[in-house]
Amino acid sequence: MNKTLSYISIWACILIAGMGCSEQPVPTVQSSIDLNTAMSGDTTGYERAIGVRDLTFPDDFGPHPSFKTEWWYFTGNVDDEEGRRFGYELTLFRSALSPDRVQEDLSDSSLLVGADSGWSSSQLYMGHFSLANVDGFATNEDPAFYAFERFGRGAKGLAGAQATPFRVWLDHWSADGSGDGLFPIRVRAEEDGIAIDFTLSSSKPIVLQGDKGFDQKGAGVGNASYYYSFTRMNTEGTIRINDQSTSVTGYSWKDHEWSTSALDDNQEGWDWFALQLSDNREIMFYVIRESGGSMGAFTNGTLVEADGTTTSLKKEDVLLEVTDTWKSPHSGATYPSGWVLQVPAYGIDLAIQPLLKDQELNVSVRYWEGAVSIDGKNGLTGRGYVELTGYR
Amino acid sequence: MFLSVLGVALGVAVVVAIDLANTSATEAFRLSSEAVTGRATHHIVGSRELLDERVYLDLRLEAGIKDAAPVIDGFVSIPSNPGRMLQVLGIDPLAEGPFRSFTGGVGSGLDLGRFISSEQTGVLSALTAQNLNIEAGDSLKVRFEGQEQSITIISLLEAESEQSARVLDNLLIVDISTAQALFGMAGQLSRIELILSEESEQSAQIAALNEFLPVGAVLERSTTKSETMAQMTRAFSLNLVALSLLALVVGMFLIYNTMTFSVVQRRPTIGRLRALGVTQKEIFSLVMGEALLIGVLGTGIGLLAGIALGQGLVHLVTQSINDLYYVLRVRTWDLSYWSLAKGVGLGVGATLLAAIAPAREATSAPISTVLQRSTEESRVREGLPRLALASLGLAVTAILLLVLPGNSIAISYLALLLLILAFATATPSMVVGMARLARPLMSAVGGVVGRMAAQGTITALSRTSIAIASLMIAISATIGVGVMVNSFRSTVEVWLEYTLRADIYVSPPGLVFRRNDATLLPEIEAILRSQDGVVGAYSVRTASVKANNERADLVVVGPGPQRKEGTRLKEGDPDRVWDRFGAETTVLVSEPYSFRNDIHVGDTITMGTDQGEQAFLVGAVYYDYGSDLGAIMMSRNTYEMYFMDRGVSGISLYAAPGQDVDALIESIRGRLAGKQEVNMRSNRSLREASLDVFDRTFTVTIVLRLLAVFVAFIGVLSALMALQLERARELSVMRANGLTPRQVWKYVTMQTGLMGFMAGLMSIPLGLTLAYILIHVINKRSFGWTLQIDITPAILGQAVILAVLAALLAGIYPAWKMSRSNPANALRDE
Repeated sequence: MNKTLSYISIWACILIAGMGCSEQPVPTVQSSIDLNTAMSGDTTGYERAIGVRDLTFPDDFGPHPSFKTEWWYFTGNVDDEEGRRFGYELTLFRSALSPDRVQEDLSDSSLLVGADSGWSSSQLYMGHFSLANVDGFATNEDPAFYAFERFGRGAKGLAGAQATPFRVWLDHWSADGSGDGLFPIRVRAEEDGIAIDFTLSSSKPIVLQGDKGFDQKGAGVGNASYYYSFTRMNTEGTIRINDQSTSVTGYSWKDHEWSTSALDDNQEGWDWFALQLSDNREIMFYVIRESGGSMGAFTNGTLVEADGTTTSLKKEDVLLEVTDTWKSPHSGATYPSGWVLQVPAYGIDLAIQPLLKDQELNVSVRYWEGAVSIDGKNGLTGRGYVELTGYR
Repeated sequence: MFLSVLGVALGVAVVVAIDLANTSATEAFRLSSEAVTGRATHHIVGSRELLDERVYLDLRLEAGIKDAAPVIDGFVSIPSNPGRMLQVLGIDPLAEGPFRSFTGGVGSGLDLGRFISSEQTGVLSALTAQNLNIEAGDSLKVRFEGQEQSITIISLLEAESEQSARVLDNLLIVDISTAQALFGMAGQLSRIELILSEESEQSAQIAALNEFLPVGAVLERSTTKSETMAQMTRAFSLNLVALSLLALVVGMFLIYNTMTFSVVQRRPTIGRLRALGVTQKEIFSLVMGEALLIGVLGTGIGLLAGIALGQGLVHLVTQSINDLYYVLRVRTWDLSYWSLAKGVGLGVGATLLAAIAPAREATSAPISTVLQRSTEESRVREGLPRLALASLGLAVTAILLLVLPGNSIAISYLALLLLILAFATATPSMVVGMARLARPLMSAVGGVVGRMAAQGTITALSRTSIAIASLMIAISATIGVGVMVNSFRSTVEVWLEYTLRADIYVSPPGLVFRRNDATLLPEIEAILRSQDGVVGAYSVRTASVKANNERADLVVVGPGPQRKEGTRLKEGDPDRVWDRFGAETTVLVSEPYSFRNDIHVGDTITMGTDQGEQAFLVGAVYYDYGSDLGAIMMSRNTYEMYFMDRGVSGISLYAAPGQDVDALIESIRGRLAGKQEVNMRSNRSLREASLDVFDRTFTVTIVLRLLAVFVAFIGVLSALMALQLERARELSVMRANGLTPRQVWKYVTMQTGLMGFMAGLMSIPLGLTLAYILIHVINKRSFGWTLQIDITPAILGQAVILAVLAALLAGIYPAWKMSRSNPANALRDE
């Protein structure tokens, strides 16, 4: 999965938000910064993903502060006893602000202690929390999509990440593992009366994406990330919307990825699919779009079998066709909004539809990230999450 | 005509200048606080304007409150620019989003990584940087409480508008981490700012927050702070306004005077016009039209002069505010249209008002008599009893207003004004009386000419009495204000003598002279206490606390006999209160505090402490002239029980008998070298420094006093000129009959001298009355101080001399003109 969002632009936005244009909410500023410019930020001094290495757990569940960028990513489709459907996303991003202090920070695994009164930090955290209320629970059946953003520094316990026990948090948004084994993970977030509180337990083993977790994203050396996933986690918990709660169950997906730079100059965005099929298989597939919208060479995926064995999917293994588009009334951007995805070698032919058209996150880096339903040939169905970035 | 315009101009100038200075100071404060308060609706503060950062962390991590921002706010000085202060605003840029908008291209240049890193970095406005002569990337040396630190300026804010440039002026924005290091506030914040939702939903939010907050942390509306600040200087500003109005009153006399002059001068013309069939109404309009012209011209000039003068005054006013109340970072010059409009209204309005009587004088009399001046004079003399009655009425009303219960400062000033009017209306009668008394004396000194000079003041009573009244009012104002300032000063001197008993006072350099809450390094305290030659060391701590829901200064004093000796009680039993003071939850309050809050012995004060709200019993009220805001005195033992603060703001040292104090200071200075810069003052130099601040505070008053004299001088000049020029024909006749130019000189000089003397004499009772009201009513109602009236004969003598001199000076031009004029010319008019 490729979520190397433009950190430079995030900085700019925070600073502008912090000291400048708060009259104008942040997104309008961001829209003027194009992704490639943003990606060309100064990466000297950071460690880079330059080859396969052995990922070791539980250590690699935690942060990798010598890399510039990192995220822990939870998405899922759940429904309650009345059959009402929901999709959620909770992502916590870490971004190193300067390489100078990384070594200093490394000596302290929790990244909490600085040299001074404790507030200074070289680590910026950003969180995105969204909830798709597909059937209008607690809103008189009006479907709704909620998205929130938070920022914090990796200091004073305001935000941070650690390996054992696994924990990543920003304010009161958090994902907490237990002991060495990671699971169960408790995922919690709340904002403006919208809250989730889920317990995640994995029914399938860890998936190392790319080459044993090394995922090349661009032609340049080091334009790659380390990336692993848990593609199907049993999920149960509660959703609260405006003082009404409901118990839900379903499946979640977790991605954890770290890198310093990933994209090449001519790559303008990506479409990413995380699909959980009814036959207990999962597909992760991303398309890196090059200038002009063409499918780039570094388009990859993984097919996860019911028993957890994985197969790499190359660009030529997959046929992807956009069947519909949607123009955002918020940003004016036009996104794909319906697909047919085929993997002929495995007899997979899926029609993918967003549960809600409008699942655009109007946060400092605008993107579309939404719950989708899958209707396939041969009785295959499923659910999933799709992310679309770089659309204007 | 010229003099009328000048008179209006002066009056308007003074009022406008004071008003502009006041509004500029207010605007400066608003700008300073806006930058700092931002869009917060509420904030959370601790018991001493310090808050444990844990409260903020819990708010985010547990309560998940998003629109909450930590703030540390304070001031530093710049060693390379003495006298220059920067306000430091410590923020978390990641939490700031909704709070402040320092518009400008900040995003482009700021390096967040460096800003929140452990490096000491900050951001300044481009303008401030330019004034400090530094550029982005330079390091700026700042000093806080005597310790120097270095901040790297990583980028400059380009202000988008003039308004935002002023908001950013002298503002140093740093990260919370930098601010904590700078102010030695590890683990602490100044406050947490919050944006709560719409009013209607606030109460639930507030209730939830109050539930959440630990003991000692208080949620309050963000306006509370600026309201408190505004209240602090309210009395100060109001008194300045009142003084400026006094100048206008004097100005009005002047206008009345000069308008009358202009009518008188053209009496023959008016008479002829009437004879030619011009109606009374037309004449009235004519005179009023002229007054309007004078008013407009004078107001125009006055506005310009007022703006110029105001720029000087605003400096004095902000200096005083800085000395006494709080640091004004922004020294703005705000040309408020409202102030100018007030000036226009007052100038034109006062002129028209003052012109009504002369205009009526010109129209009401029958045609034949208009041509005769004597009619007017007879009318005035006939009216004397009525005027005297009016004077009595005014005086009685004034006294009634003064004895009326209540604390309104405005009413006190109204009474003051009425008293002045009472004296003014009594002037003609007094002049007649005094002139009669003076006649034999004048005749003895100056012969016939002297006699004539004395009698002349009566024959031209309508003119002379107004000139004398203007001069009297101006001189009495100088007496009143002079006696008030003197009494104040001598009271403060006596008090300082009584209170300052130690030999040496040590404190870190603070920002506001009268409220030093800087903290002395603990090691310095240890050094001082162990110093050879020191037999006693007593600490004092100043803190800002919330008492009965208002901000108040808390003065914490160490135990010891020095406190009992150095404190004089106004209320309370000196034999018993000190035992209770040291041991129980008993506090003392200063006289101004007692007055402002109506708190007396036996009352309780509820104070927000680190242990939550706590009631303290007021054991005594003590005399204190250090702060008009008042203070609460608490013993160190009690303080340490309720507040988690062990710092001291200052230490007073008692030298061993026979110890040379200057040598002791040198020796201490040597031991403290390189640790913390401190102010070390001997008893005498602290006393002098205190009196310096006192004198500085009253500079504005003294400037106004001088202006009043100047206005009066112009008044007298114009009145006398009117008088003498009017007499041109009479004098010409006398000249023709053998009066020499020398005798004309003598005549005019003796007459003006006599008038000045009369004004001086009458100004003494009025001046003393004014002083009495200023001291016992207005000062009391404004600040709550008990002052001992101190009348020095010198002030009274000066007043009389000043009056005579002013009058003599004003007589020079008319005398010169009369003596030189060719009698034939004057007579040819007939």
